[in-house]
Amino acid sequence: MQTNQQMARDIRLPMRAHRGNDRIKHGFLVPAATWVLIFTLFPLLFALYTMMYSFRFGRFNQFVYANNLTRMLGDKNLHNALRVTLEFIILAVPIEMVLGFSLAILLDREIRGKHILRTLMIMPLFATPVAIGYLGITFYYERHGPINVLIHALGGAEIPWLSHPIWALISIVLIDIWQWTPFVFLIALAALQGIPLDLYEAAQADGCSAFQRFRYLTLPLMIPTLWLIVLLRLVECLKVLEIPTTLTRGGPARATEVYSLFTYRTALGFFDLGYATAQGFLLLAIALLMISVIFSRIRQLYQPESRDL
Amino acid sequence: MRSPAQERVQQLLIIAIIVLAMLWVLFPFYWAFVNSIKQTADAFQPGLIPFLQFDPTFEHWQTELAIPETQRAMLTSVILSTCAATIALVLGTPAAYALVRFRFTWISNTQLMIWFLAQRMIPPVVMVIPLFLIMRELYLLDSIWALVLLDATFTLPFPVIIMSQMFRELPIELEEAARIDGASPIQEFAQVALPLVTPGLVAAWIICLAFSWNEFLFAKTLTTETAIPLSAIIGGAEHYRGVLFWYVGQRVLLMMLPPVLLTLLAQRYIVRGLTFGAVKG
Repeated sequence: MQTNQQMARDIRLPMRAHRGNDRIKHGFLVPAATWVLIFTLFPLLFALYTMMYSFRFGRFNQFVYANNLTRMLGDKNLHNALRVTLEFIILAVPIEMVLGFSLAILLDREIRGKHILRTLMIMPLFATPVAIGYLGITFYYERHGPINVLIHALGGAEIPWLSHPIWALISIVLIDIWQWTPFVFLIALAALQGIPLDLYEAAQADGCSAFQRFRYLTLPLMIPTLWLIVLLRLVECLKVLEIPTTLTRGGPARATEVYSLFTYRTALGFFDLGYATAQGFLLLAIALLMISVIFSRIRQLYQPESRDL
Repeated sequence: MRSPAQERVQQLLIIAIIVLAMLWVLFPFYWAFVNSIKQTADAFQPGLIPFLQFDPTFEHWQTELAIPETQRAMLTSVILSTCAATIALVLGTPAAYALVRFRFTWISNTQLMIWFLAQRMIPPVVMVIPLFLIMRELYLLDSIWALVLLDATFTLPFPVIIMSQMFRELPIELEEAARIDGASPIQEFAQVALPLVTPGLVAAWIICLAFSWNEFLFAKTLTTETAIPLSAIIGGAEHYRGVLFWYVGQRVLLMMLPPVLLTLLAQRYIVRGLTFGAVKG
């Protein structure tokens, strides 16, 4: 809905006519644009060049054509990293979406504690991921760590949080859920509050039940926002690095070696810089593919509305 | 309609959920705090309430804060994030103004916007290798300025998004009135528009600050000794002698509290900043 208004504004108020003031308008924009060009585009081009070399002792060694790209096909560790990242996404994103969205729906009304909760929910978002991972070592501590003590007190068996491959992945997912459910919550709540109240009143006057109001009013209006959140979460999940790095160091064995961590190790553990760059580009390609697919979906969802305007 | 009893049960349920959510959110912070004030002997007991279950002490805070390595890392982190946030704001705000108030013909404004936002979509691990090689050639490894430049680049989208929305909401009539009074475009920007968006400026600055403070990958890769910021120290901590709970607790708090508390001041702008302006908070 917001994008709608923005689009309408873009059409209505096409920029002020400072004719002959091209120098000034570029003066505003060019510093930032150049900056981005230097620090993003140039390194990416340089990376394309790096990708075609093999390295020795951290120095350019030999031109190897697309060898670094074909190497990825047979690299079992890379496939493992892709699988771990995928598992991480499949476990984390749906849970975060459902939890965050339901919490937002529950709190989208006049309740006293709401503002405090909204404030508190911002805290995990900006909690340093490395620090949280590091702290995780202590609360997942298997002997007398707080979580296992609690489970023990409730009569369960102690869980090998960090030493069992599956539990280690779950530990990471749990921290991610802790950190990012508030993100889903905050955005969903903001979007819910942007839905005009008279729509609900009209629905109520027509005799819709609470469930019907949710199913035929809230949900359709929220779907573009939900897709947007999914998109942002997926991009962040592909980038995930800090928590596995500090909490499990990719272990046990390679059970939690997410893609970014794997690439990081290839680059700065083994100094196989050309190969690591190729891996980086694969990740970039995956990210871009995902973004363009979901983005076109979001656009389709926004389009019908803008025609009403 | 529902009976009052049903209504009350529902209210109680919601309050219970809110309380649970609060506990869930706050637990790690509290756990870190409690650990940091436990005496060494109590550290491995899962007591959570000071005075009742253990005697609190601040000796670990004193020892940790006296370590030169920590002091230097904190100073580095402070300088790093303030400089990076300031650069991002200085570059991003005029760009945001240009995107809202002028029309560009050689590329469309939307494309320019996407160009800025793309920074947050690129996985940093793609950038880190070429940047490592470039910084090595420039003799900028282990230099705080290399990190300042990069953090400024990767937080640049936030001021661009937040400020462009602020400018868009600003009635253009104010600037037009100033122009009739003979103000130049630069004066319109600096003396009319800018003072009116100060809250947004502060919020954007804080968000950049938090992201630069939290940044780990570049910090770890591009520093080796003198320019190590706090995040890289924590991320690189090895624990050969087992995990020292009190030590973890207070280091983690030292790291997390500044961004967490600062961003509470920027609450209103966080949602639009993080959704690239698609949803307004």
